[in-house]
Amino acid sequence: MAEQGRIAPRLRLCRGCRQFVGWEAPDCRFCGGDLDEMEAEHEARQQAVRDAAAALQAAIEAERP
Amino acid sequence: MNELPVRYAGDEDAANRVPVSIVWEITLACDLACSHCGSRAGRRRRDELTTAEALDLVAQMAELGTRDVGLIGGEAYLRKDWLEIVAAVRAHGMECGLQSGGRNLNDERLAKAAAAGLQGVGLSIDGLRDVHDEVRGVPGSFDLALAALRSVTAHGMVPSVNTQINAKSMPQLRQLMDLIIDAGATQWQFAITVAMGNAADHPELLLQPWQMLELMPLLAELAVEGRERGLFLQPANNIGYFGPYESTIRNIVDDEIHWHGCVAGDTVFGIEADGTIKSCPGLPSPYAGGNIRERSLRDIWENSEPIAFTRRRTVDDLWGYCRGCYYAEVCMGGCTWTAHSLFGRPGNNPMCHYRALEMDKAGLRERLVKVKDAPGHAFDHGEFELIVEPAVAPARVPDRILIDG
Repeated sequence: MAEQGRIAPRLRLCRGCRQFVGWEAPDCRFCGGDLDEMEAEHEARQQAVRDAAAALQAAIEAERP
Repeated sequence: MNELPVRYAGDEDAANRVPVSIVWEITLACDLACSHCGSRAGRRRRDELTTAEALDLVAQMAELGTRDVGLIGGEAYLRKDWLEIVAAVRAHGMECGLQSGGRNLNDERLAKAAAAGLQGVGLSIDGLRDVHDEVRGVPGSFDLALAALRSVTAHGMVPSVNTQINAKSMPQLRQLMDLIIDAGATQWQFAITVAMGNAADHPELLLQPWQMLELMPLLAELAVEGRERGLFLQPANNIGYFGPYESTIRNIVDDEIHWHGCVAGDTVFGIEADGTIKSCPGLPSPYAGGNIRERSLRDIWENSEPIAFTRRRTVDDLWGYCRGCYYAEVCMGGCTWTAHSLFGRPGNNPMCHYRALEMDKAGLRERLVKVKDAPGHAFDHGEFELIVEPAVAPARVPDRILIDG
């Protein structure tokens, strides 16, 4: 097929104000937060949730006869 | 829900122009009389496809890589061979769902549909009993739709609801959600009523652009609550765009999913009962790419100019507020159908949350006023003027910004 479909530019989700922004600026144009820093904090929180879920699952498995 | 339904298109589908999802009006015959019906359904078209033509079309869809076929009408079950069509779609390895008003979707019909391979049924429920029966034009239609919804689950198909959001139904959405969860719905698709067909004759039904300030926080709250209760909200393409609730409203499995422009003719298309192929089922005749009685589906899909408009247009084709919007390059003016129905051309869509927020910040709001009636045929539209005026009341301040959980 000769003609490709349109692939829209992908935006970045600001973890501070939940608005989508372009990748060109380091700070959110809406809340002014540092996008990389907030993303790292978000990922750390998500990892803590995953770790807690895994620990819970392991505890459940250990109690199984 | 852990993975996206097959009807969701990815970048690879878009790049390769796979018509992932097709919406097929198999008849215009209908047993309801809805005051918002865009196709002004009621009587069948004189030249609807024959069974042989319909089954051949199914094979052509499969050959193009289609994964999901949604049957609509009118009322699809009023076509005598509708179960043959369902069975053919399934035999070609595609998923098949039905959108129905549910007035006569009785237990026997549903049992036969399940046996033919139908996988999901979406019932159109447009508010609580009083509003639904009024806008659907048939007293008792609300109870019949709700009974059909309960029966869908009993027959092992996915039960969903689709709702038109308009001036009458918006105040009832919260109560409606409780009710459809109780009736077993697991998916809820909603769209803003578009000023097309019968809806163009009822401007009192239509939401105003500034009402996005109230609607989007409400939908975000319902989306979060719905997910917790096993109901997944699915916004139609005219719900949005951006603002603080974009992720919450559109998120199914990935909170970084955002609106990325109308995909009509790129990964979706619509079919009218006479075999007319359109880039979107809601769009009027200027968007028709051809008829399968005259050309093959592949030829229309690959070579028809009207089907290609979403991939050939640029930001320069936008106008009005959308032309200078921060999101212009991604959004491309939102839903083509909505904009075209209001102004007779796409590229400027006032039914937008971000736009309403920006207007509100400036102490302004936009109001639509109908200036020309629709002529009175299927998929027609009138003409609206956009008035920018001082905002008369402060916008609703959200109780909270919904955070990811």
